[in-house]
Amino acid sequence: MKEGLVGLEIEERGDVVVARVTGELDIAGSARTGERIADGVPTSALVLVVDLMELEFIDSSGIAMLFGLARRLGSRRQQLRVAAPPGGPVSRVLEIVEFERAAPVDPDVETAVAGAN
Amino acid sequence: MRVLPELFDLRVKARSLAYLFTAGAGLGLLTLAFPHDQTVRELQLVVLAGIAVAIAGVVYVESERIRAWQLHLTLASGTLILTFANYYAGASSLYPLLFTWTALYAFCFFSLGLALAHVALIGLCYAVLLVIQDPANPIVRWLLAVGTPVVAGLLISRLVERTGVEAGTAEQRERALRQSEARTRLVLDSAPDAFITLDSDGILTTWNVAAERMFGWTAVEAIGKPMRGLIIPPEFRDSHDERRRALIDRKGAVATEVFEVVFQRRDGSRFDGEATVSKVVIGDEVIISGFLRDLTERQRREEERVELTRAQAARAEAERVAEMMSGMGALVDAALARPRLDEILTNLVEGVQKELGADAATIFLAEEGKESLRIGASSRGTPPASVEPIAFGDGFAGRAALSREPMFAQRPDAADLRDPGLREIEIDSLLAVPLLARGAVIGVLEVCASPPRRFTADDLGMLRLAAERVALAISHARIYEREHQLAVTLQRSLLPQKLPELPGLKVAADYRPAAAEEGVGGDWYDVIPVPGGGAGLVMGDVAGKGLAAASMVGRLRSALRAYALEGHDPAMVVQQLNRLVWTEAAGRQMVTLLYVVVDPTDGVARWVNAGHPPPLLLGGNGRPQFLERGTSVPLGVMPFPSYEEVSADIAPGSTLVLYTDGLVEVPGAHIDDGLSLLAEQARRAPDEPKALCDYLLDRLIPEGGAPDDVALLTLRNVPIGDDFRFDFQTAPEALASMRSLLRRWLRHAGGGEQEVAEITTACGEAATNAIEHAGAGGGRPFEVSGRLDGREVDVSVRDHGTWRTPREGDQGRGLSLMRALMDTVEVQPTREGTTVRLRRMLREAGGNGGSE
Repeated sequence: MKEGLVGLEIEERGDVVVARVTGELDIAGSARTGERIADGVPTSALVLVVDLMELEFIDSSGIAMLFGLARRLGSRRQQLRVAAPPGGPVSRVLEIVEFERAAPVDPDVETAVAGAN
Repeated sequence: MRVLPELFDLRVKARSLAYLFTAGAGLGLLTLAFPHDQTVRELQLVVLAGIAVAIAGVVYVESERIRAWQLHLTLASGTLILTFANYYAGASSLYPLLFTWTALYAFCFFSLGLALAHVALIGLCYAVLLVIQDPANPIVRWLLAVGTPVVAGLLISRLVERTGVEAGTAEQRERALRQSEARTRLVLDSAPDAFITLDSDGILTTWNVAAERMFGWTAVEAIGKPMRGLIIPPEFRDSHDERRRALIDRKGAVATEVFEVVFQRRDGSRFDGEATVSKVVIGDEVIISGFLRDLTERQRREEERVELTRAQAARAEAERVAEMMSGMGALVDAALARPRLDEILTNLVEGVQKELGADAATIFLAEEGKESLRIGASSRGTPPASVEPIAFGDGFAGRAALSREPMFAQRPDAADLRDPGLREIEIDSLLAVPLLARGAVIGVLEVCASPPRRFTADDLGMLRLAAERVALAISHARIYEREHQLAVTLQRSLLPQKLPELPGLKVAADYRPAAAEEGVGGDWYDVIPVPGGGAGLVMGDVAGKGLAAASMVGRLRSALRAYALEGHDPAMVVQQLNRLVWTEAAGRQMVTLLYVVVDPTDGVARWVNAGHPPPLLLGGNGRPQFLERGTSVPLGVMPFPSYEEVSADIAPGSTLVLYTDGLVEVPGAHIDDGLSLLAEQARRAPDEPKALCDYLLDRLIPEGGAPDDVALLTLRNVPIGDDFRFDFQTAPEALASMRSLLRRWLRHAGGGEQEVAEITTACGEAATNAIEHAGAGGGRPFEVSGRLDGREVDVSVRDHGTWRTPREGDQGRGLSLMRALMDTVEVQPTREGTTVRLRRMLREAGGNGGSE
């Protein structure tokens, strides 16, 4: 489903929920996307993988949203993992803000899902 | 004998004959089985019986196709076979009796003449036989054999004929009677007058349709009830009874009287009526019948007739006048053909001046809702509208307006002349007539004569006639102008008031209503900033005109905007619109639509064409090209058509032209001719979108307007230079546009993919700050400018808000991002706002990738 610039698909793979975010994440859509992802994670899930493999743009509001998700899931004893293509603009931003301190960043979705298990 | 033979068809007759032959042959063979004379020639008789049976077989089989003459031939052959049988059986046999069979057959199935012909043949054959055999009492034998069937046949035929005639007559009579009753009923029911009948006690026995209409009681309700209580008002019932009794008591079988009475309807209302009442005595029975008429109807018709006569007289008078004033009539018609009121007025004063041989003519117009006049047109030059208004009562014309009467003056005072054009000429006489429309003074018509021309009071009559015409023309022109204005206003309200400003793109549009335009056209265009910094271009045409088309345009326009702003692909947007048109007006409303999304970053246009004329692409090389791919069916003709999205490059410097068919429809020419004309003109047209619009419309629309409405929309992908500057709204949606512009510029500057992405991210952070801090700036736009200094990129984001030093945590991340991604970041807070200046040296080879 697409809303404005941001596309979001949420898929449950057993205990792991994969949220695929596409398009461009800025203040026009970050907060709302974060809420929709959080709403899409059932309490029964153990891990949320945010798939940013095809995200074209992320700014500080998107990063804030990811940090927010990490905090929310942590309080629910759920784990957050992020998948982003290494060397791409999204990974670069994640590196600058040292996102690894909040949640692991994997080079692809399969690694992230496998890492969760 | 006619009836009996006509009761049977040929098939029945043929089969009966076959049975007759078989029976005869059977009987003949039977006689051979019994003891008989030695003279009987058995062999021959068996052969004859065989022939008879064979003939019977053929006739039976062929009975469906047999003709009348074949039937006669067969019967005649039967007579001959019988004659031979009699011969072989000998004179003593009883075979002659068989002749009666054939004779009776003829009487039953053939007309009398032909039956007698067969009997004659039988008589002849038997006579010959008798001569050959020579038995005792030959004449008695002949008479018995031939006379018996003749007598019997004649009797039968007479009897049958009689019965048939009797039956036919009775049936006819009954039918005639029924028809007569129905006819009477029909006549009575279709009669404009009410028709009723009463018995001697005054009980209703007939009540026709007109009576139902006149009194409100149905026949079922009325019949069987006393008439007096039903339609006679209470105070007249006694006199009604007296009249009825007097009529019954009158001598003679038939009596008729006419009188005027008051009737009462079912709802209690009363009316004057006329009754023509007759008494008819049939045997002991007395029937009173009455035709009742509503006189109010007749009175009304009489009034109508008088009114009609008066109207006809008035029309005749008007036609006479019109004929007299044919010159004036032509001038009014010519004037009304003009599109604008001032042109009509100018045309009228010139015409009036010429027709009356006046030296000058002026039309003063009353100002709406005020008792003052302005000069609408003068044959000596219409003064500008800024001239002081003339109050009713002021000057010659003002006095005519106030008194509402025609005025005549000789050698008028200069002060009375309010048309400045008249002050320069010598005036002998002056006439003024008020212009009246629906009882109101809408202006004054004034004419003057210079010596030696002199008006007399007779000329006033002529001027009055002219004034009537002129007043009519003005009020028509005003109504027309108002309606036309309304139509244009409605049309304009469906078009964007202002086209959005899009970074890197320039759009212009225009709409020209058709020349002879009364309805509202169904053409529309729109430009929608779509998420991601692109432009959604819409060009549509709802078939038909008027309110239905306009309201469909309104709905499509808002629906399309909603879908487009949600960021749907063109194909999805057009599918949704088709669903809307189909559900609202399946198959009744057709809409052609072109929806193009232009992404300036990639320089790509993606579009869906639902039955619309193809967009025209003016590339940098100057060769216009129609984008004809991807054309599918218009909206509203199918529930689920497939709309294909196609794309083309819109390189910087090229222009896209969208239009409705009014632009390319040349009366009498093929659409392709119109398209090539458009391409030809576009090739020479200026690049700038507004100038391009004007150029095309000026050259393709004929003088006085196109036959159909024309909408035109042009978009140019403006080439980006080393420097740029653009204003953005302080809304989150502006960020995507800004990034789109920035990426384009950075690519132009030769930035590599990584650099482009990183600089865009940093500038995005600065712009986000500008938007978040906009509160104090009162929503004023923020400015982004870029400068290329050698290989150094220098971007400034200037807002009108107040800079707030970011706290640590989420809020401060923007600034750290900027610092990490750029070489230098300078924040310059001033009183007017904040400028963030971001610089970075480009190191990547443009487009080749690789990191710093």
